[in-house]
Amino acid sequence: MTNWRFKEIVVLSALSVVFAVVYLAFLPVGKLLFGILGPIGYDLIFGIWFIVSIIAAYIIRKPGAAFLSETIAATIEVLIGNAVGPMLIISGMIQGAGAEAVFAATRWKNYSIWVLMLAGVGSSITSFIYGYFMGGFAALDTGYVIAMFVVRVISGALIAGLLGKAISDGLAKTGVLSSYALGKEVRKGKVA
Amino acid sequence: MFLHQLNPTMKAFTIVIIVILLALIFDPITPSILFLTTIILMFVGGKVNWKRYFLYLLPFLLFAFGMFWTTLIFAKQPDLPGQTITILTFDFPRESFIVALALAVRVLSVAALSLLFIFTTNIVHFILSLIQQLKLSPKIAYGVLAGYRFLPMMKDELKVIREAHRIRGVNQVSTIRGKWSQYKRYAIPLLASAIRKAERTAIAMESKGFTGDRSRTFLKQFTVSGKDWLFLVIMLTLYAVAVYTSYSLGFLKLYDGEL
Repeated sequence: MTNWRFKEIVVLSALSVVFAVVYLAFLPVGKLLFGILGPIGYDLIFGIWFIVSIIAAYIIRKPGAAFLSETIAATIEVLIGNAVGPMLIISGMIQGAGAEAVFAATRWKNYSIWVLMLAGVGSSITSFIYGYFMGGFAALDTGYVIAMFVVRVISGALIAGLLGKAISDGLAKTGVLSSYALGKEVRKGKVA
Repeated sequence: MFLHQLNPTMKAFTIVIIVILLALIFDPITPSILFLTTIILMFVGGKVNWKRYFLYLLPFLLFAFGMFWTTLIFAKQPDLPGQTITILTFDFPRESFIVALALAVRVLSVAALSLLFIFTTNIVHFILSLIQQLKLSPKIAYGVLAGYRFLPMMKDELKVIREAHRIRGVNQVSTIRGKWSQYKRYAIPLLASAIRKAERTAIAMESKGFTGDRSRTFLKQFTVSGKDWLFLVIMLTLYAVAVYTSYSLGFLKLYDGEL
């Protein structure tokens, strides 16, 4: 954390706060889909709950950004109140760790679209393993559990990876990111 | 009020332990007992607005119901398909029914435990206690607190953006598709203003001498005392009593390690 500027930490928490609200707003959507389709309903939109790690890592590009932002977003969700309680902080950490592991594998150097999508998949995998034990998936039919997993992986890649990149690029175009890694790259003209 | 005076970090730790222990149980009796005792504990040891409390609990009832019927339908093939239970003229295996009930009540008891934490904990105290008890870096902790302060401002910010759009001739929409594209239009300005605010706050804090150094002093000191260990013991005892009761009634079913 020593190479982090304080500015970056506050911006990271501001992003986490915004997305904590988004995460909470999507909980009833998830509950609705769950009610219609069963547990797989959640997996359809699960990627939305990883999006802040992708955005924060893509913008700030420092070790820990993915893990920290997801953890803070989960903490804020708990603080706002209408959530799953302190346990949620742990699931946030597990989701963030999945994305962080992918960025770590590139030594926090590569932020191409494939890496961002893979980071979404990373969160899908770690969160699924966690959900398997905490959510009692062991009681469900094996084929159904596999279908849930596949849907969650796709959702992680598309919603967290692709949408996360689109939002960050949109933000970079406004110029507010000029003093962060992504903004600097945009100024150099590497990203259209 | 006992629950309000506990150390926030220790309270969170205790609840996380109980929730993990609950995840090992696959029978309906244990979480039911824990659910009821948690609410009683809340009643005895906390000062709560009950109307608000049950309003928060309500969505979890819906969630628990969804959990119940989906587990019932998508359950594994039972070991004893001969024993069935009839609901609304449909036959379900007795084993699946019990597991479904167990998972549904588990949702409720986890919700009650979480609400116990949320309704009795001051947010700023929780974060300050994380610095003092868990050695969380003050740089991150105060960054989070600063970010948390933006929350009420965001509502105003959204209003400003909405009005700015309207004054430029973008009309309000009522269709779902229109609402969706409207939110897409709000997203980037809202995020951009949050980032600008965060940047200004960070600069203001640093210019007033905030270094994020660990050797700082605190106006409010948090310590772990006997009360906190007593709470841990109370919760573990409740858990043990719940498991024992379920065992004596012949219902107890633990996670058997199958994948």
